[in-house]
Amino acid sequence: MKKKILVYSTPTCPWCNKAKEFLKKNKVEFKEVDVSTDEKGAKDMMDKSGQMGVPVIDIDGEIIVGFDEKKIKVALES
Amino acid sequence: MVNIYDVIILGSGVTGYSAAIYSARFGLKTLVIGTRFGGLLQDTNIVENYPGYKSISGLDLMKKFKEHVEDYDIDMVEDEVKDVKKIKNCFSVKGKKSYKGKTLIFATGSKRRKLDVKGVEEFEGKGVSYCALCDGPLFKNKTVCVIGGSDSAAKEALLLSEYTKKVYIIYRKEKIRAEPINLERVNKSKKIEVINNTNIVEAKGSKFVEKVVLDKNFKGSKELKLDAIFIEIGQIPESELAKKLGVKLNKKGEIIIDCDSRTNVEGVCAAGDVADKEFKQAITGASEGVIAAFNLYEYLK
Repeated sequence: MKKKILVYSTPTCPWCNKAKEFLKKNKVEFKEVDVSTDEKGAKDMMDKSGQMGVPVIDIDGEIIVGFDEKKIKVALES
Repeated sequence: MVNIYDVIILGSGVTGYSAAIYSARFGLKTLVIGTRFGGLLQDTNIVENYPGYKSISGLDLMKKFKEHVEDYDIDMVEDEVKDVKKIKNCFSVKGKKSYKGKTLIFATGSKRRKLDVKGVEEFEGKGVSYCALCDGPLFKNKTVCVIGGSDSAAKEALLLSEYTKKVYIIYRKEKIRAEPINLERVNKSKKIEVINNTNIVEAKGSKFVEKVVLDKNFKGSKELKLDAIFIEIGQIPESELAKKLGVKLNKKGEIIIDCDSRTNVEGVCAAGDVADKEFKQAITGASEGVIAAFNLYEYLK
């Protein structure tokens, strides 16, 4: 089953870009939420993660804070 | 047969890339090992002091560097080096894989210094940030502070003033040490206020940061309400591996180099933020890296 993936990010954040590039490279489809403009998205991110820092990646409800390649791989494969 | 490189460059930032380009041009078999291609400069919003570019983002500048490196026959691997040893006439470099090189350049740079104050670690990612470029846009119309008094701290404050309502720069000494051009920008900004001679002693809040406690009164109170704390209090040189190899460090932990970027260990050079040079800039790192490559080229002849 295809996983629903959200990447909460800001356009200027180098680690967000790295996370997005990583997903693209692995041909994983995701929806990007730009929290610098999308206030509701920013609130969702804070509620889900308890964090005010980007990137936050939501893989089918599993929340990964920061660009953690290992955790992302595990979450994608589970 | 084991592949032996002429030069192994540890670090893939401005310094490592510059060294690599020259090393390849000298016809040396070159390997660049890094954990983050492009290095720390990518976290800088705007670079205005790299000759040839009036204004460019750190990320874009490093993309150009990487393209330039890729134009040469240079091996690049993303790996974290855990150990470096001298074996007979060459150096063994171990990460996930092992590599061998006749010479080494430490262009390992530095990592951010963390602020060791009550509550700060607990609120990391909850209002405490070490990257204004990443997290700044989350604090639109909010009040934030920058801890530190360097040019980088001033630049962080200027960047944050684009999003936020108010930026305090809290600095422990008498006067912030920004480049004059950035100092003028700070002074002109209506949003930035500098609090000198002051330390923060605690970060407080419930879910997220709500205030900081200062070690002296500011406008009649030791508590200052704000929504985020951005920390820019300098760097720690990444010199542990060099030290293991017998490379001499100064008191700050920086690798001691001479004007040819040589360390005390034969065949080992160092350059950039990890080296013991007072003025640490992209252009000076590039220059030291290039000098290191030239020196090793002469050494290997």
